[in-house]
Amino acid sequence: MVSMSFPASASSKHDDAHESGEIDPKEIIFDHLGDRYGWEVPFNHHKSIPLPIIVFGSDGLHIFSSERVAHGHEYVDNGKTFRIATEGDNKGKVVEIVDGKEVRPFDISITKNVCALIITVIVVCLLLFPLKRYYKRKGYKAPRRWLGAIEALTWFVYDGVIKSTLKDKAKKFAPYLLTVFYFIFVMNLMGLMVIFPGGANLTGNIAVTLVLAICTFLATNLFGTKHYWKEVFWPDVPLWLKFPLPIMPIIEVFGMFTKPAALTVRLFANMMGGHMIVIVLTLLIFIFAKMGMGVASGTAVVSSLFSIFMLLIDVLVSFIQAYVFTMLSTIFISLAQENPHHEHSEAARK
Amino acid sequence: MELFTPDFGLIFWMFLRFAVLFFILCKYAWPAITKMMDQRAELIDKGVEYAQQAKQDLDNAQAKAEELMQEARRQQADILREADRVKTQIIEDARNEARQAASKELDQAKLQIDQARKEAEQNIRDEVSAFALNIAQKVVRKQMSDTKAQTQLVDSLLDELEKKN
Repeated sequence: MVSMSFPASASSKHDDAHESGEIDPKEIIFDHLGDRYGWEVPFNHHKSIPLPIIVFGSDGLHIFSSERVAHGHEYVDNGKTFRIATEGDNKGKVVEIVDGKEVRPFDISITKNVCALIITVIVVCLLLFPLKRYYKRKGYKAPRRWLGAIEALTWFVYDGVIKSTLKDKAKKFAPYLLTVFYFIFVMNLMGLMVIFPGGANLTGNIAVTLVLAICTFLATNLFGTKHYWKEVFWPDVPLWLKFPLPIMPIIEVFGMFTKPAALTVRLFANMMGGHMIVIVLTLLIFIFAKMGMGVASGTAVVSSLFSIFMLLIDVLVSFIQAYVFTMLSTIFISLAQENPHHEHSEAARK
Repeated sequence: MELFTPDFGLIFWMFLRFAVLFFILCKYAWPAITKMMDQRAELIDKGVEYAQQAKQDLDNAQAKAEELMQEARRQQADILREADRVKTQIIEDARNEARQAASKELDQAKLQIDQARKEAEQNIRDEVSAFALNIAQKVVRKQMSDTKAQTQLVDSLLDELEKKN
């Protein structure tokens, strides 16, 4: 994975540099971290795998290939003109030209990230269904090799995090939490592969982490016990703290929303940071390239080594972040599952 | 900063994909997988417990067997000792009995010998007395050939009788 990543990212940077003559690190970094229409292929910056663009323009649904608007081309579909904006607020997004102005249509295109999501879903299914089939066929016999690894990972999360935190409620929430774990884990690892079918900075995209955090928020609050809601709106504190000015309830409600926000930002920032460091290290080669052959080759060696090191760390971070997200989700859910008579034992356990 | 503003399209698709994945896995994969894992964990736990129990039982059985062996050995020693004792007693008894029997025999023999001797003595006495009587007869016959002497003797004998009565 690591060895593959290098030529690909390096070559695409190289092409960027050729086009503009001068490299713009910020541009390249955000270009690589962000989403795009079409999926770039290694060693060729001018071609990419076309993906469908689906937009609701001013007169309804339009579906066309991303190839038609690539490289700044304008595409006319049923009398409506579309192109990818090159500047302004909608930079890099598909816009419709209405009366000479760029208007952002309602856009649910299958972008690179959306495509990566589909691939992730398929990969997760491919990881887990063989395990289920194995269990059906072999029963209690322990799986070996690949399936054994998946089983060990599943058991690590299921037994170590979910069962030990949620106790008897584990059965109810385990499917959600395990799905979240595998989904994030696979997305993280796929993001580290630079060529297709990986390379999409999915978990480093705030939309993805936001949705996951909202799901945890819903699981926490929709299944919250009476005791949980009592703790939120009428906590066990001196009266003046909740009446007439509801200080504690406000803090509690605020806390309800900071939890998913923390989940969102943690995963997003960690994964984006990892990607960014690798890209920056690679870009250093091209920035120092102007200062002569010796400096350039020296930087190339050093930053390559550092990039490989960072990518290896990112593999670890991929797992840790998936684990942490699952663990925090489990804890948030378990906090909302508290019952009055459990409170003391919970407190003692912590 | 496009990076920090979530894109609606992606949110939409993400939600959809996640929901689809969640429902697929929830319906077809997780229940089977977690159930099997729980069951196997339970099986292993039980197996370990059973193995421990079995080991304990085995240890107990061994201790018990050892105890039985000890007991058996002790009993064996007891029996041997008892047998030894009985053996010596029997020998002793036999010896005593033999001794007694022997002494009895001896006594009887002595008695018989005594009797025989007495008989012999009686016989000898009888014979001697007969013999002496015979001799005396002959002697008396010779001396008593005159009547005077005879009368004298009868008188002396009558005197003796009178004295006695």
